Amino acid sequence: MCSGAARFTMTDGVGGPGLWLIGIGPGDLDHMTERARSVARECSKRFLEGYTAVLPPSEEERLESVVGSWEKLMRNGVEKPNKLLKLASKRPVALLIVGDPMQATTHIDLEERCAEEGINFHVIPGLTATALAVSLSGLQSYRFGRQVTIPFSAGDYLPTSPLEMICKNKESGLHTLVLLDLDPTGMGLETPRPMVPGEAVALLERMGERTESISSSLDQPIRNWVGMLLSDLGTEEEQVVSGTLGELSEIGIGYVHAFILPAEFSGMEESAFERRRLPN
Amino acid sequence: MGRKEDNIKRATEVMHDREKIRNLAIAAHIDHGKTTLSDNLIAGAGMMSEELAGKSRVLDFDDQESARGITINAASASMVHTVGTDDYLINLIDTPGHVDFGGDVTRAMRAVDGCIILTCAVEGAMPQTETVVRQALKEKVKPVLFINKVDRLINELQVTPEDMMSRFEEQITKVNTLIRLFAPPEHKIDWQVSVLDGTVAFGSAFHNWGITAPYMQKSGVNFTQIFEYCHNEEQKELAKKAPVHEVLLDMAVDKLPSPIVAQKYRIPNIWQGDLESETGMAMLSCDSEGPLSLMITKIWMDPHAGEVAVGRIYSGTIKHGDSVWALGGAKSERVQQVSMMVGSDRIQVPEVSSGNIVALTGVRSAAAGVTVTRDEDATPFEPIRHYSEPVVTVAVEPKSMKDLPKFIDALRTLGKADASLEVSTNQETGEALLAGMGELHLEITVYRLEEEQGIKVTVSEPIVVYRESISSNNTGRAFEGKSPNRHNRFYIETEPLPDDVTDALREGTFGDGAVRNKDAKGIGDRFAEFGMNKDLMRKIYAINGTNVLVNDTKGIQNLHETRELIIEGFNDVCKKGPVAEEPLMGVMVRLVDAKLHEDAIHRGPAQTIPAVRKAVKGALLRSKSVIFEPIQNIRIDAPNDVIGGVTREVTTRRGVIEDMPIEGNTASVIGVMPVAESFGFSNDIRAATQGRAVWNTENAGYVHLPPSLFHKVTAEIRERKGLKSEIPDELQYTD
Repeated sequence: MCSGAARFTMTDGVGGPGLWLIGIGPGDLDHMTERARSVARECSKRFLEGYTAVLPPSEEERLESVVGSWEKLMRNGVEKPNKLLKLASKRPVALLIVGDPMQATTHIDLEERCAEEGINFHVIPGLTATALAVSLSGLQSYRFGRQVTIPFSAGDYLPTSPLEMICKNKESGLHTLVLLDLDPTGMGLETPRPMVPGEAVALLERMGERTESISSSLDQPIRNWVGMLLSDLGTEEEQVVSGTLGELSEIGIGYVHAFILPAEFSGMEESAFERRRLPN
Repeated sequence: MGRKEDNIKRATEVMHDREKIRNLAIAAHIDHGKTTLSDNLIAGAGMMSEELAGKSRVLDFDDQESARGITINAASASMVHTVGTDDYLINLIDTPGHVDFGGDVTRAMRAVDGCIILTCAVEGAMPQTETVVRQALKEKVKPVLFINKVDRLINELQVTPEDMMSRFEEQITKVNTLIRLFAPPEHKIDWQVSVLDGTVAFGSAFHNWGITAPYMQKSGVNFTQIFEYCHNEEQKELAKKAPVHEVLLDMAVDKLPSPIVAQKYRIPNIWQGDLESETGMAMLSCDSEGPLSLMITKIWMDPHAGEVAVGRIYSGTIKHGDSVWALGGAKSERVQQVSMMVGSDRIQVPEVSSGNIVALTGVRSAAAGVTVTRDEDATPFEPIRHYSEPVVTVAVEPKSMKDLPKFIDALRTLGKADASLEVSTNQETGEALLAGMGELHLEITVYRLEEEQGIKVTVSEPIVVYRESISSNNTGRAFEGKSPNRHNRFYIETEPLPDDVTDALREGTFGDGAVRNKDAKGIGDRFAEFGMNKDLMRKIYAINGTNVLVNDTKGIQNLHETRELIIEGFNDVCKKGPVAEEPLMGVMVRLVDAKLHEDAIHRGPAQTIPAVRKAVKGALLRSKSVIFEPIQNIRIDAPNDVIGGVTREVTTRRGVIEDMPIEGNTASVIGVMPVAESFGFSNDIRAATQGRAVWNTENAGYVHLPPSLFHKVTAEIRERKGLKSEIPDELQYTD
């Protein structure tokens, strides 16, 4: 290994200075790997990234007992990481990330910056809600198309590409995993306020009004589409239910949600979907 | 029944005879005797005592106006004038001569079909007269000319009849040149004024007399007699033989169009709806039975009735209790009082019909320029364009915090009533920024707050509003603005717009705000008429003031989704430029390339807007930022013996003297002066001339701030705004 150069690695034990991006799993800290725990404990400073994902409050409380003392880092600290990098050039620093570190684009940027500045950079992967979603849905993992996120709208601004991508996936016979925005302000300054299922369905409908008939999928009102709602995956409150989007949008419990909007089912997918139906 | 009451009764009768209505305004320079003339017309028509006319100034119904001797509001008055056996209803709208209130002039012109251009026989047409006449002609308002203060010409300057004729000739030619330049093409010839046609009158409003060629024939008064009467101090006699109200109102009835005639050619100019539709046809023919179409031209606060909206009815009839929409308002509203205006009296009437000027109460969401109809979805009138941009700002706050709610409410009304006033308030601190046409404009606004609304306020020193622009371009050297997450990049080039395009933008030729996709082609083609690249301008995204944003990229996926955000970033910089956070002027912003994250969640508002903002600011700095300062035309008339003091005052204030004509004992200093140097000018000039100078100013656009002042001025502005005094370097916008 060249000295000083950042090399992507997930195996290095903590020796000298550097930045360790550590996936801590989707919520319940029991999903955190043994390696993640030990590396985090060995670092001399720990930050929890609180901008691209959220940890349930009970788990936040527990975190110290698992990895040692930590501080929270919001958007500015991640996007303008000068402080973080400076620290990492002198000491081993852990950035704890809900889910998997490299599944949020913001963090690939950190790898790039470390490379530019010659700071050691390491990744410890974590279990993600997206992996859990596929696995708990009963649908076939190879039948998923590109995943999308529904952003909060701001005034006149409402992108329609998420709906377009869902339709495109459907036409290619692929399911879509739909993540929901966490921060209506878009500023990443405060504790997030995740989008609820009802808001997501309403936004999809507004996107439908804005796009001209891009797809035959839109012939059917969005409310009548079938889907699966996955809430608080990887936590004790975890819940997976299927139904029409109209039905799912009524659900008021849960904190962080995702949808799966399936294409035509194949094989045993349909019966798996039916088993998850909302009780009438 | 008194004469006034009788007149009111006759007025409400003739109101329905639309061929016998004349809506007119008087357009003039300050101090040329406009209010005196208006009052004489009203008095002559029996609406006030003749003795008072020329003294009481009915139209100056703000105390403030009488005290300052200038007219601030475009108040209106209706009067009856009889020609032969026929009664005519004259609806007279007064307009301010002071340019600080340019917005009021334009709005008044929207309400009328004809105007009397008032010039001074001694001073001639003044720059401001030209501004006012141009505004009238753009609204397709037909002009006639009245040359005032002829008595002074005869008695003070001792001119011969031949001299007088050649002076008149000169003024008439000047006015006709204006008409040729600015009248609608079809009327450039037949709207020319001439003595023989009877479209030119002259006389003395103060001494109550006036004359036209047709009236000379009718009354037998000739030139020689006029000279004699004046020389012999017998102008009272002359006023009996040729009373000014009769002469001018005759001229108005005979030479100015009725609403039936005028609306045929005015409606297509001010209304973009379907002329073949029921509403369109009703307006073209001024049909009082048709759908209601009314345009509000003025709002003022009545101490008893609250907000009063004055406007012109183009079709239909409005009655007490009607339910109407002020287009753009949230709900329909009930008309409480319907009135006609007679000087400072508002006379309630049951209804007012098309072709007339009406005053309404109860329509709270009405503002100057708003269309009022019964149909929520009707096409509104063209927005009134006014040519003046605010150049001076003061900060105002209530002395007592308990007045805060009232203060904010009062500012809202002021902002509605006066479109040339920009009001921005900080709801928490109660501080408000008032931006207006000049020091006087703002002084009067503050006066209204204190006296009419009874709110004592603290006012800051006036501050000049500068403009930021660029002197070069960064074509081929696009500036890259990165989003905070660095996944989105926008590449911007900026260049100065040609002056004529900037002027046209300022006049509202191309509209303002985001350009809808379907309108881009048409707007682009209009830019092409100014010699701009048609293909490029058809890709226009937005206009903000005198700046344009164009999408000069090709085939960038998802760019359309960030369109609103890019426009928002652009708007932010138009409001606050990079040099001193002053408004941007005359800049073309081209988006030449962009890199966007595939996933919409990573290119939301919090990413895109700052990226665009940085890209535009960096591009501006790379294009060599400059500061422009507002300047004003000045004209100071003073006796010869004190004119030295005047020139000294002007030159020490960075003024440039362009001309110094001398007329008998009076010398004039004509030139330009920066607005920044004009504060306190009136006191200094009074001191320098022992109060013997008369002076006028008119905003005259912007010029480059001299480079020697650039750093001093920008540092001052930045410190005032709590910014670091150094101007940022483009490097600050690279990351």
